[in-house]
Amino acid sequence: MATGSIPRTTLGEGASHEGFLRHKGFRWLKIALFLCLAAGLAYILIDVQPRPSGGSWVGYTLGTLATLLILWLTMLGLRKRAMTRGRWSLKGWTSAHVYLGLSLIVIATLHTGFQFGWNVHTLAYALMMLVILSGIYGIVAYSILPEALSASRGEMTRPQMIDAVMKLDRQLQLGAQPLGHEDTAIVSASIAESPFKGGLLSRLSGRRPRCRTARALALLRPRLVAAVGPGGEALEAVVALLERKAAALARIRRHLRLKAQLEVWLYVHVPLTFALIAALAAHIVSVFFYW
Amino acid sequence: MTFLLRTVSRSAEGREIVRTARVEGDRLAIGRAPDSDVHLTDLAVALHHAVVERAGPRLGVRVETGLTVELNGRKCASGTIELGTGGDILIASHLLRFMPTPPEADEIQVAVERITEGEAKLDKSAERLFTLAPVMPGKRMLAWLLALLVLGIGLAWPIHAYYERQQRTERFARFQADEIWSSGHLSQAHAALQHDCSACHAKPFESVRDTACLACHTDIHGHADPFRLARARPDLGRWGRIQLAFKQAFNLPPGRCIDCHTEHQGDQRMAPPPQHFCSECHNDLHAKLPDTRLGNAGDFGRLHPQFQPLVVAGWRGDRPLLRRASLDLHPREDNGLKFPHALHLGASGGVAQMARTLGMGPAMACKDCHQANPDGVRFRPVEMERNCAMCHDLAFDSVGGTIRTLRHGDPAQVIADLRALYAGRTAPPPPSLSPFARRPPGTASTARERIQFSRGAGAPGAEAAIRAVFSPGGACYDCHRVEAPPPGSLAWRIAPVAFPTRYIGHGWFDHRAHATQSCTSCHAAGRSQSASDLLIPGIATCRTCHGGERTSKPVASTCAMCHDYHRDEGAPAMLIRQQVRGQRRAPALVPAAAAGAP
Repeated sequence: MATGSIPRTTLGEGASHEGFLRHKGFRWLKIALFLCLAAGLAYILIDVQPRPSGGSWVGYTLGTLATLLILWLTMLGLRKRAMTRGRWSLKGWTSAHVYLGLSLIVIATLHTGFQFGWNVHTLAYALMMLVILSGIYGIVAYSILPEALSASRGEMTRPQMIDAVMKLDRQLQLGAQPLGHEDTAIVSASIAESPFKGGLLSRLSGRRPRCRTARALALLRPRLVAAVGPGGEALEAVVALLERKAAALARIRRHLRLKAQLEVWLYVHVPLTFALIAALAAHIVSVFFYW
Repeated sequence: MTFLLRTVSRSAEGREIVRTARVEGDRLAIGRAPDSDVHLTDLAVALHHAVVERAGPRLGVRVETGLTVELNGRKCASGTIELGTGGDILIASHLLRFMPTPPEADEIQVAVERITEGEAKLDKSAERLFTLAPVMPGKRMLAWLLALLVLGIGLAWPIHAYYERQQRTERFARFQADEIWSSGHLSQAHAALQHDCSACHAKPFESVRDTACLACHTDIHGHADPFRLARARPDLGRWGRIQLAFKQAFNLPPGRCIDCHTEHQGDQRMAPPPQHFCSECHNDLHAKLPDTRLGNAGDFGRLHPQFQPLVVAGWRGDRPLLRRASLDLHPREDNGLKFPHALHLGASGGVAQMARTLGMGPAMACKDCHQANPDGVRFRPVEMERNCAMCHDLAFDSVGGTIRTLRHGDPAQVIADLRALYAGRTAPPPPSLSPFARRPPGTASTARERIQFSRGAGAPGAEAAIRAVFSPGGACYDCHRVEAPPPGSLAWRIAPVAFPTRYIGHGWFDHRAHATQSCTSCHAAGRSQSASDLLIPGIATCRTCHGGERTSKPVASTCAMCHDYHRDEGAPAMLIRQQVRGQRRAPALVPAAAAGAP
């Protein structure tokens, strides 16, 4: 313990928010740029004969660097499960993941020597580029969408959103009791349909072309004009409930759309990363197999 | 008769709430209508859905027209339930359970329960429902699937193809799976091996060895004695040692064919090895091999010895002594001829006059005597009959319009012919009228007139004529070195004539490739007064157009343009390949005359 030193009050990391992109004054951006610059200079200045390729010593060096980077970048999947602070904080790790991942565009492309073909080597390169592109989408999504996602909740939690729909469903159940069999079938269809029905495309677009609630509204609303008596009142109540349900569903779907847009890239990024590692293994083994 | 209804519902915590009701009578009406005996609040239930009626020991189930119920798990429009065994009726989400009852019993217990699936779950899994997980296959499964797919196609399939290949002996004409490992198309020379990876990659995990190349390339040599080659290698620097260490670590022995000849660079002709493969050793060869007779050479533009053509240095009897000599030493050629190029190429004077008379143009040109070989690379040897005799004719007699000529190249025959011509003649002619006196070359007819005149004037003696033809001013003496006979003899001899068939034996020069240039732009024939002038141009002349590998001169020239690593004779492989494929570069230089024209 040093004596005589005055303990200082340091502002911890929590004092102000600094995103992973700006982490430590763009430290990893600078490191990644340095890597790209070094690789670019090596490519330009070293005259490889007969032409630059992955098989020259520059090519092998860049390839080894790129492989190590890819394996390290994959480790984020393990690392993210342990959230820590400090020098090797998860935030720093993520920052490095983003910038070193982007630097692979330069390093791996120079490794190829711009020689592409229908072979396992270009497959590995293409998969890597797809992983990086999906990652770029992820960065953009993470910087734009979360704000819209919070806004789309309208001060509600997700279970509350579902609950709102379920309450309306119960009210519809009661309100539709006086209706005839055909009309109840229409309302039942709306009640039976899960708000989460629909596949990936439907979620990403936020549209549901055959929404039963919309269909019920489209069928029942025109009948309001002709409806009289107690049946008419019941129909009026049901249509009002259906309209409220449609609004609640729209909120859920907007939320689902944003959430899907925020998450979908990981379904490309993660599986393709493993495909990339497999292709990388095939690429390296094939080079040595036919050495 | 009584139906005892037990309606079971569940609280939010899952606790059962049972309400009981009694329905008096034999008939139980089930429906959504409020006046039903069993009131089911499910929109899938009709207002008057079904009626259950007791008939003795069983219950009859009647369903409204067009609707169904599930009776004991079977969908039906009507049916019966044995009281003794009991039964279930499922209407939409409601289950009516008729308990087993003795036939004589008055009371039938019925449990009514709503089967609620999904609703409770919805709330708990709400967070998960909002994620993509329910609509997407799992990331982990996708990752495994894709990785296995890629490994299967990219690794297992080609390895299988490799081992299958080992079982077969015939050539492969179709796509083989291991071709997806090919990093690039093979060069045009090796295109036939495209489907046959094992032709070069003989063993897995062993780099391509020279034996694979030598299996087809049987007629090339390895440049030089391997020991001298090894000694000539430059010392490795630190970087070179690092590279060597890597190569050894990865089982890449140095000095293989593929060190210079790189494959898989695309569907093109194989690039000639770059200059540094040569200059590594030849740049400073003297330091490594002090006994070499080769000069150091690193780049044609900067470091290349002067040419050392083969010249006839002298004679041992009738055999020429050929010796290589640097052009810097200005060697002279003892070819046995007398021939002043300058005189023959002059624009004025007797030769030019003669050329005009013979229709060759304003003066003689190189091509009037030097004709190219069919391949255009070199020139046919100059022959007296073909290239000189149009002017230097050897006619000496005319018999009935047929001209007799002395036989070139056979002095004994010349002597015999002249003796025969003068046989029977007595008076010697005055020397001034001798037909064999020295004269400028003329047409055959003037020669004949002079012969006829001299015959009219008086027959000369054969001996004098023979002596005249071999003496200064005589026809033979004009061009040849004549060896006089011993006194009293007429056995004149002509010194033999010899030229090397190829002056520069270790470098390739193609005259056709230089067709845009005039002959005299390289060969200083116009100033040559003697046949012993060696008109081979020196390296400085070549360097006016040719530079080294990287040069500002019009023609960048690597070693491979003139020399071949594996061959001593003929054109370098690089030029042959260019020529065969019609990729010969069109001469970039424009002749001076054409350049001036509009």
